[in-house]
Amino acid sequence: MHSKSRYIWAYMMIAPTLIGTLIFWSWPAVYSIYLSFLKSENFGLVNHWVGWANYERLFMDEEFWQNLRNTILYVVLFVPTTIILSTFFAVLLNAKIKGQAVYRVIYFLPQVTMAAAAAMVWVIIFAQDYGLLNSVLGTHIAWISDKRFAMYALVMVGVWGAIGFNMLLILAGLQGIPRTLYEAAEIDGAVGFRKFRSITLPLLTPTLFFTSIVLVIGATQIFDSIYLIIGKTNVALPAVRSLVYAYYQNSFIYYDQNYGAAIVNILLVINLVLTGIQFMLQKKWVIYD
Amino acid sequence: MNIRKKMAAGIASLLLVSLMVGCNSSNDGGGATDGGAQKNVTISYTIWDKNQQPAMEAIADAFTEQHPNIKVKVDAIPWGEYWTKMSAAAPAGMLPDVFWMHGGQFMKYAEGQFLEPITDKVQANEIDLNNYASNLVSIYTMDGQNYGIPKDFDTIGLAYNKELFDQANIPYPDDTWDYAKLAEVAKQLSQPDKGIYGFGAKLDTQAGYWNDMLANGGFILNDDMTKSGYDELASIEALKARYQMILDKASPTHQQMTDTDSVEMFKSGKLAMIFDGSWDNGNLASSEIIKGKYDWAPLPKGKVKRGNIINGIGNVMSTKGKHKDEAWQFLKFLGSKEAAEITAEMGAAIPAFNNTQDAWVKNNPDLNLQVFIDQAGDATPYPSGSKSYPVWFSKEAEIMSQAWGGAISIEEGAKKVAEMMNQAIEGAK
Repeated sequence: MHSKSRYIWAYMMIAPTLIGTLIFWSWPAVYSIYLSFLKSENFGLVNHWVGWANYERLFMDEEFWQNLRNTILYVVLFVPTTIILSTFFAVLLNAKIKGQAVYRVIYFLPQVTMAAAAAMVWVIIFAQDYGLLNSVLGTHIAWISDKRFAMYALVMVGVWGAIGFNMLLILAGLQGIPRTLYEAAEIDGAVGFRKFRSITLPLLTPTLFFTSIVLVIGATQIFDSIYLIIGKTNVALPAVRSLVYAYYQNSFIYYDQNYGAAIVNILLVINLVLTGIQFMLQKKWVIYD
Repeated sequence: MNIRKKMAAGIASLLLVSLMVGCNSSNDGGGATDGGAQKNVTISYTIWDKNQQPAMEAIADAFTEQHPNIKVKVDAIPWGEYWTKMSAAAPAGMLPDVFWMHGGQFMKYAEGQFLEPITDKVQANEIDLNNYASNLVSIYTMDGQNYGIPKDFDTIGLAYNKELFDQANIPYPDDTWDYAKLAEVAKQLSQPDKGIYGFGAKLDTQAGYWNDMLANGGFILNDDMTKSGYDELASIEALKARYQMILDKASPTHQQMTDTDSVEMFKSGKLAMIFDGSWDNGNLASSEIIKGKYDWAPLPKGKVKRGNIINGIGNVMSTKGKHKDEAWQFLKFLGSKEAAEITAEMGAAIPAFNNTQDAWVKNNPDLNLQVFIDQAGDATPYPSGSKSYPVWFSKEAEIMSQAWGGAISIEEGAKKVAEMMNQAIEGAK
């Protein structure tokens, strides 16, 4: 075959995405690294090289460490909860039940809901005086302005939003598991949870591995729910402020895009390290057949 | 295989064609209007107050009537995002042709040469800046250059719900009131179990505790703008007095007012009194619940004086606009008596053009809007005009929300703000 022309076709087909990725993702990432070594004036039109000064300031900044701890706490709470619940619902929806499609749509709904609109609804649910959550629980908790609870509120919103899509991925993984394995197991006398533990879970690990990587990266970048639900005059903000929120504040509110760039570069390093660790650990638990 | 390839090629060429069509049509937008003195152009006018949008559109229509070839597109971006958007648009050369400027942000944009100086037009007598109060003109003047035309001015008033006063049999606020009286009546009017409170002791600057601080003998920035006044004893005392109203249950809590803004609470008849700016009267009047049931009084007197912040919005134009001549025509029109009269008649804001303010007051004969004009005389200018303003102003709210939310004491919060402001001032030198 004309292998050369086939390559050209292939490149043409991926060009729109590739060009978009380069312009809107790669270039800003590289430029952020450059920005973090500058002190910019006049909206970034005048720049002075300051070396590591922004990073030195960062490491001395107690607020940065707090934001880092908040981000890590969010990841630790959000990722496992999402994976466990997504798997749970995926297994349920994989069974032959009536109205399967309806349930799948219901769980997938958060994915197609506008984040801002959903956030407004959550604010009402969390409201202290007349909120749904408090009236169901019979409590009077300031879910989003008490620093002991605000993080859990955010995790709740995050998990709610993430289950649908991840459930779909896991569902696809489940359907890739051959029926014959279960039949064989049944002949051997395996039932219920035993089938899940010995067949489903091991064969699902490649999917779980993929979702966990995507979830961790996504979770470290939490911003919108803090911005929309917590808000900038909330007394609990310091207890939930993430690195990306701090980046937004510094870059766009305080006009300090250099300091902001330093913050996201730290985040980039963290994500590279985390993903690297996950890839190293995968040998221990992911089973490819 | 072959069919698939053909289909792929077909789709790809379709995509390419549509891309090319896309490019072409966007070129047309700029090219088709070339040539001829009377070319049709559309210029953009960006504002931050949605409540004033109808009035600004009316002005734009009146302008287009006189200049049929120039259309004006009025966009409102909420205050919360306005400066974020502008700061991204400025270095990209994408600022609107004409837009609202705030005294606090002005220097940053003027120094960066994003704003078109209008000094030569003033000297050519195309516009007469004596038509506006001189202290409003000076907000938008830097190094002897004029950049902006005053649009309006605003002061703060005490809005009160007559119905709630009547029910409690308490006389309405008047110019004899001082802060002690405000606190006392607020307590009397509060019925926390019904969700009704006497006063919205909100975390707010211009329409909030800045007025308290000034009235009590404190200050926000010293006169040469080198030092914060938040850690002055008089300032701290004023802040504490306001916060005390929350502790006394004479005001909703900070959390309640974050969930539902105190202005909204007032509009739904749940608050007996709030401080609010003259610019917001249209917003209050839009509420069916309190329509005809509220009125304005001057701010209460403090230990030292009656505090009040006066500020004025300016209209400016971008240096990078594609249609600067047309933009200037519109800017000039925005500064005209006609535009001021539209502003006044539609009740949008107190126009800056001399002797047009009466129309704004008379437009609402049932409301005592005269208090805003009367208080302008000895009001304190908004503490803008320093390069560090955009930095300290946004950090201020963040620190004070810790104090207002009860995480730190008011005194600690005020001192932190002062320290932060002094650092920001130092850093901007």
